Amino acid sequence: MLEINNLHCRIGESEILRGLSLSVNAGEVHAIMGPNGSGKSTLAQVVAGHQDYEVTAGTVTFEGKDLLELDPEERAREGLFLGFQYPVEIPGVNNAYLLKAAVNAKRKHEGLGEVDAFEFLKLAREKMTALGMDPKFLNRGVNEGFSGGEKKRNEILQMAMLEPTLAILDETDSGLDIDALKAVAEGVNALRSPERAIVLVTHYQRLLDYVQPDFVHVLSEGKIARSGDKSLALELEERGYDWVREAANA
Amino acid sequence: MSRQQHSIDELRDIVNRLPTTRNEDWKYTDLATARDISSRWLAAGRETLPLQLRDEVEAITGAVDANWIVIANGELQDPVDIEGASRLEVAPSPGSALAELNAALLKDGLRLHVDGELDRPIGILLIDGTEDTSVTQAYVEIEFAPGASGEIIEYHASKGNADQYANTIVSVAVGDAASARHLRVQNRAAAHIQTGRTSVSVGRDSVYTMSGFDLGGSLVRNDIIIDLSAPGADVSFDGLYLAGEGQHIDNHTRVDHRVGPAQSRQEYRGILNGKCRCVWNGKAIVHEGADGTDADQANHNLLLSEKAEIDAKPELEIYADDVKCSHGTTVGQLDEASLFYLRTRGLDKRHATQVLTHAFAADLVARMPIEAAKDALSSVVEQRLAELLDSDPEAFS
Repeated sequence: MLEINNLHCRIGESEILRGLSLSVNAGEVHAIMGPNGSGKSTLAQVVAGHQDYEVTAGTVTFEGKDLLELDPEERAREGLFLGFQYPVEIPGVNNAYLLKAAVNAKRKHEGLGEVDAFEFLKLAREKMTALGMDPKFLNRGVNEGFSGGEKKRNEILQMAMLEPTLAILDETDSGLDIDALKAVAEGVNALRSPERAIVLVTHYQRLLDYVQPDFVHVLSEGKIARSGDKSLALELEERGYDWVREAANA
Repeated sequence: MSRQQHSIDELRDIVNRLPTTRNEDWKYTDLATARDISSRWLAAGRETLPLQLRDEVEAITGAVDANWIVIANGELQDPVDIEGASRLEVAPSPGSALAELNAALLKDGLRLHVDGELDRPIGILLIDGTEDTSVTQAYVEIEFAPGASGEIIEYHASKGNADQYANTIVSVAVGDAASARHLRVQNRAAAHIQTGRTSVSVGRDSVYTMSGFDLGGSLVRNDIIIDLSAPGADVSFDGLYLAGEGQHIDNHTRVDHRVGPAQSRQEYRGILNGKCRCVWNGKAIVHEGADGTDADQANHNLLLSEKAEIDAKPELEIYADDVKCSHGTTVGQLDEASLFYLRTRGLDKRHATQVLTHAFAADLVARMPIEAAKDALSSVVEQRLAELLDSDPEAFS
């Protein structure tokens, strides 16, 4: 589904990804771990199409399409979703409006008509209740005045409504209390299916207690230094990231 | 007072004395085209065929439930049968060449006297449209009696491509303990020019709330002059200007705090796209002895194109001790992080831009004080915003 091959990218003068390769198939959950500054968030942003990052070498394909040729909105309509580490507050833009516009943009791309407004609101309220979000958040500005946990739940709500083929969740677990973490994990697990894939970018392994990954990768200095199964996350928790870095440099 | 007839030479003299960019208050706004239109119109005998404006009048007056008075090409339409409204023969001409021009060429002035509580807004539609070059004047005097309360809608519109210059003067006197809500919409045709002065005097313990929306016109200059000469006045006014390719919109505001305690608050916002220029000059003068003054002014601008230009200038002059004054001006582009966020949700760049610019304008629409006009205003702003984004397609390439 997602094939990243020898990806190099930089922002300004500094090279952040240095030959990263990753293959994600339908039905899989991958966790990308690594110390601060290893390039985890950069990877998420580049795949989503952030213009500040310049790809200098390598390829990224998504379901056979050259992802790097597509605008961010085209990537989204093709079924890619990025859950932001720091969701942006957009005062004055109604949360319900954005959700509906996002769903309709994707439906239009798929040749479908616009969603029925009534059905849409009903579905949104159901999903919000499941996520432990008060439906009144629908009528607030996007993330406006939301707490950290509310913002992350809102990301998961968007993901749930958009039903992406591939979801990349960037540090969605950071700053969450245990209830919010569980709610977010349930939202992610609800999306798991043989047709979809999920990439969890995370610094800590605690999210992985709730969302079991099939593969764990450790990023160090802009590329994947080590891959394994869930036990790798536990090992990291025990031995720290220096162990991977040393092993990679050895 | 009888109407004074001016000779053509006298009129030419007034036109020649219209402000030029050598005048500090006019340094960004060149009235050369207005002078040229006026001269040609004078030379052509001051007559031109009016266009049929019925559809436009119906569309505007039909959209808002109000008692409408229509002034078309400077002439009052139909007998005015609204209580307190009457035709004015003569306009005063204090001080400036623009006021002299107004007084010299005025056909029908309008006087409104508001007593008690108005149960419905009064709408004044000033609409112009002629086959050929024309110049029109409008003079409106609105007086709120002590204790009165009411809503006034002032709508400027025009039609056609002929050269057109409108010069308007609106004078509002708010009596003691009165409450006045005022909406001013300028949505003239793309080729037309307007200079407009709004002078407001505010009485003791009275409240004056105004919202102005500049949506159209090629060259527009508004002077908003507010005089607080009695304690306890509470004035707040907003302005939104939307400027697209080729437009020039200049808002000069002046608030004189002559006594305290009193408060004034203003917020102007602009959205600019394509090659255009806007000016906001906000002057607040706190005169000697006006202790207890609370004056706040803000101006925020969103520039969607590198070709757009804004000249924003707050001016505070304070001659009293116990005052609270603040001002803030921002000029920026759309927030890149917000734009990217919306695009990752599948909204294309134009749609994302529209959503963000709409949000920027929405506060002022929401704050507009006349409930009966909110839906109509909201849709006209929305429509103009969409046109504005399309006026410079490069912005979304």
